[in-house]
Amino acid sequence: MSRAKRIMKEMQAVKDDPAAKINLEFVTESDIHHLKGSFLGPPGTPYDGGLFIVDIEVPMEYPFKPPKMKFDTKVYHPNVSSVTGAICLDILKNAWSPVITLKSALISLQALLQSPEPNDPQDAEVAQHYLRDKDSFNKTAALWTKLYASANGKDSEKDVDEAKLYGIDPALVEHFEALGFAKPKIVEVLRRLGIKTLDSTDDATDDKITDELLRSS
Amino acid sequence: MTSVQSEDNSSLIYGDDFDDDDESIDLYESQTTATCSMGDTACHKLNSLVSQESEFDFDEDQFSGNESDDELLVDPMTLSKKALDDDKGGSSLKYECLTTQDILDRMLKRVHHLQPVFSIPSEDILVLMQRYDWNEERLLEEWTEKMDELLVEAGINTSNPGDKLNITMRGIKHRSDFNCFICCEVRSTETFSLECGHEYCIECYRRYISDRLNEGNVITCMDCALALKNEDIDAIMGTPSSARLMDSSIKSFIQKHNRNYKWCPYADCKCIIHLNDTSYLQEYTRLHCSRFVTCKFSHIFCFGCGYGMHAPADCNVTMAWVKKARKESENLNWVLSHTKECPKCSVNIEKNGGCNHMVCSSCKYEFCWICSGEWGPHGRSFFQCTMYKNDDEKQKASVENSKKALKRYTFYYRVFNEHEVSAKLDWKLGQTVGQKVKAMQEKMGVSWIEGQFLAESLQILNEGRTVLKWSFAVAFYSDASHNLTKIFVDNQMLLSNAVEQLSELLQIKNPETTMKRKSEFYNKAGYVRNRTRALIECGRDLLRKCICKPVD
Repeated sequence: MSRAKRIMKEMQAVKDDPAAKINLEFVTESDIHHLKGSFLGPPGTPYDGGLFIVDIEVPMEYPFKPPKMKFDTKVYHPNVSSVTGAICLDILKNAWSPVITLKSALISLQALLQSPEPNDPQDAEVAQHYLRDKDSFNKTAALWTKLYASANGKDSEKDVDEAKLYGIDPALVEHFEALGFAKPKIVEVLRRLGIKTLDSTDDATDDKITDELLRSS
Repeated sequence: MTSVQSEDNSSLIYGDDFDDDDESIDLYESQTTATCSMGDTACHKLNSLVSQESEFDFDEDQFSGNESDDELLVDPMTLSKKALDDDKGGSSLKYECLTTQDILDRMLKRVHHLQPVFSIPSEDILVLMQRYDWNEERLLEEWTEKMDELLVEAGINTSNPGDKLNITMRGIKHRSDFNCFICCEVRSTETFSLECGHEYCIECYRRYISDRLNEGNVITCMDCALALKNEDIDAIMGTPSSARLMDSSIKSFIQKHNRNYKWCPYADCKCIIHLNDTSYLQEYTRLHCSRFVTCKFSHIFCFGCGYGMHAPADCNVTMAWVKKARKESENLNWVLSHTKECPKCSVNIEKNGGCNHMVCSSCKYEFCWICSGEWGPHGRSFFQCTMYKNDDEKQKASVENSKKALKRYTFYYRVFNEHEVSAKLDWKLGQTVGQKVKAMQEKMGVSWIEGQFLAESLQILNEGRTVLKWSFAVAFYSDASHNLTKIFVDNQMLLSNAVEQLSELLQIKNPETTMKRKSEFYNKAGYVRNRTRALIECGRDLLRKCICKPVD
């Protein structure tokens, strides 16, 4: 019973603080244990300008057990799965304490976007990108924000260049397209190998990619 | 036959005498080490120096009554540089049997010792020790480096204890109309807070603590890093719950130090064996020996692999064997039916005693449980069923090898299993023997000490069976064409025969005659013991000479 009371009180607390720009609402009126939260991307980061929606499931043991949170919005971030939106954050796991609220958890997520922890990654591919080439990572993350998290409705996703979506140098993709490989295949292989750019003199890696392409086609 | 006898004699020599004095060890050494002749005084000295007498002694001191284990299990030949360098001699092999409570008591003692160094309350040191996984050295190191930071990090209240505010803040209070932030209920209730003033109702605190008691970490205030002390936990929970937290903390300590601490693998046994110096274990592995340890409840297990007593097999053979057994067991289910038909009249027979000498209750046919053959030849000369007769040998080479391999394995697995079942039945037998001894004592006025030969014989029987059981794993992985393997099989037969005879002797029907046959018990048990040692030695030789190689 106290769980319902607590959730209602937390909802009220979010409404009472519009300056935080955090939103929390029930998915359906009949179920108070399934919520959607949203917050704005922190300014000065590639997530600036985006609205990020988080799916929240409140367990029976709440607030003694943490709520289950995952991103509904696609996010390009080392600690967030680029496929499922699963989040790797200690306070949502073993560092949870009953004094943490849904609001403070959402604020923590906002802070996580601000300062990624690439050494404790959820998405290894993204984390590798982050560690190897910060600028390229930032570009990709900003592109994802624009594509998937822009507040003014969804842009058509179809127009997006696949290579760009994963921060891969378009010239590199063109190079392999010229060899007769299909673009989706090239992107897939490059993602698997974790290669974003290639020095034109690096023949060994070039051969490796070609081998991989031949093997998978 | 003659060759078997001579092997028998020599193994008896070192089996019997190796722990009598240094000289006999030298004798054994000279037999095995080609470079060391008997007359060589320098070599003699070296051998006396590195003899492991003192190391036996230690274990015998700790576990008197189990002296036979160490004779059996510690290889007298495990001589190494380590033992030479070690001033204390036995310390490398030293082990002790503890419970979590023993370890905790020890930790508390250490906390007590640290108290004058830290000059903070013992309870706070306990929190620090938990935080540092009971690692005193690391704690002291960091303490000298950054005392104040350490206290803050560990959540220990550093404000002046005389501070009036603190005293009023801390502890359980009774409040009317308290609004708890956690459960959002407004009511009059007891509350708790530490010096930080983060106050919540006692029920929320109880819930919070009970979720964390089994995690083994320091429990902090829900809203800050300030640590709850054991007395706080007990006060909030109303029961001595901090004991559970300490227990789980010690358990996680053991988990983190699982190279030195091992749980006894027996069901419901809460003993922990602590081996101080594990560097010696490598030497054991190299020599294909295993460090067998005995817990308070006489459970013998291997410190290396955690399985039960498995001599003469080493850990590799044991693990390969167990793995294989797991893999193959499905194929072999049909073989392992617990009943057998009498080979003569086909009546189904269940084996309900430890002895493999079966007498069909229906047709009185005497046969051997293992090979289903007639018992007659078994009793007189050889115990032939330890020898796997390769019937396929005569057949053409075109016979599928895999089928052959499975058949071979099936044979060894079945024999292994039979001995395991027999060992269990022996244990049951032991209970009845115990009762019989009691009956004897009452009826015939036999003193307790006089009845002990039965218990001793039973223990020797058990050891013999275990060694026999594992010897089949060694035999399975051994090169059958090698002469030493043949000697090993001969040794198996001799032990098998001896064990069966002793087992039969222990099926006591009439207590009165048993007392009269006491010397017979002694003879048979002594023989089993010698045969057991000889088989272990021979098995180790097989392993050392790489004739026995575990492969999947």
